[in-house]
Amino acid sequence: MPAPAATYERIVYRNPSEHHYMKVHLEFQDHGIGLNAAQFKQLLISALKDLFGEVDAALPLDILTYEEKTLSAILRICSSGLVKLWSSLTLLGSYKGKKCAFRVIQVSPFLLALSGNSRELVLN
Amino acid sequence: MVRFKHRYLLCEVVSDDPRCRLSLEDRVLGGLVRDTIARVHGTFGAAACSIGFAVRYLNAYTGIVLLRCRKEFYRLVWSALPFITYLENKGHRYPCFLNTLHVGGTIRTCQKFLIQYNRRQLLILLQNCTDEGEREAIQKSVTRSCLPEEESAGEELSDSGGEEAAEAME
Repeated sequence: MPAPAATYERIVYRNPSEHHYMKVHLEFQDHGIGLNAAQFKQLLISALKDLFGEVDAALPLDILTYEEKTLSAILRICSSGLVKLWSSLTLLGSYKGKKCAFRVIQVSPFLLALSGNSRELVLN
Repeated sequence: MVRFKHRYLLCEVVSDDPRCRLSLEDRVLGGLVRDTIARVHGTFGAAACSIGFAVRYLNAYTGIVLLRCRKEFYRLVWSALPFITYLENKGHRYPCFLNTLHVGGTIRTCQKFLIQYNRRQLLILLQNCTDEGEREAIQKSVTRSCLPEEESAGEELSDSGGEEAAEAME
């Protein structure tokens, strides 16, 4: 007896995530400089505004977590703005006259991927 | 073949103040557009748009401006034009805005569009006319513009009939 025809449904996601998540760390040349969350966001927006102007300074950028002691944060940006944000972070040189640099630790379209980083695994 | 392709943006300077158009100069306008692009699109935009940028044609009487930019970045220039709100000349600031009429790949297509646009504008001016002397002047320009193309092409671009009517209207 012929088996009943099975129906299949195929769902293809071309780009499943409309946001990209970046884990970044701000490093200063001198130690002992602190920024609160608002100043950190102001720094990010001014970096975007310098390189890409007022139109791209208005990209929907969110700081999901921020730690003041280590100056590290998890940012969320829409996928079309990832390249612009990353390049403006690369070219940011100073904050209020003090030299600083952004270190990008991890970038992923999924937030869950930022919870475990195989680069930070310590093997004894 | 390998060549640099450009886009020509045909714009019209619209302003309440009649002195605004007369103080149009190509260097002043070019500097203003470059500053606006730098403000709106940042260092990247300013650098990308200023390579092939030039003000190719400027008519102070009708306020028509033809800007040239590279084909890859013409959208950056086009989107920065609405952010121009004033024209500054010799310390006087005139509020105005730039209305983009046509985007073409060559100067010739922009010229063809401008000729048709001016013909339509003459007819509109004829309808809105109040004074008899102006009406005759515009009617003369309209009949001249309906003549065969070789004779009137030179006159259309200089746009003498439109100038008189435009100045008289203001």
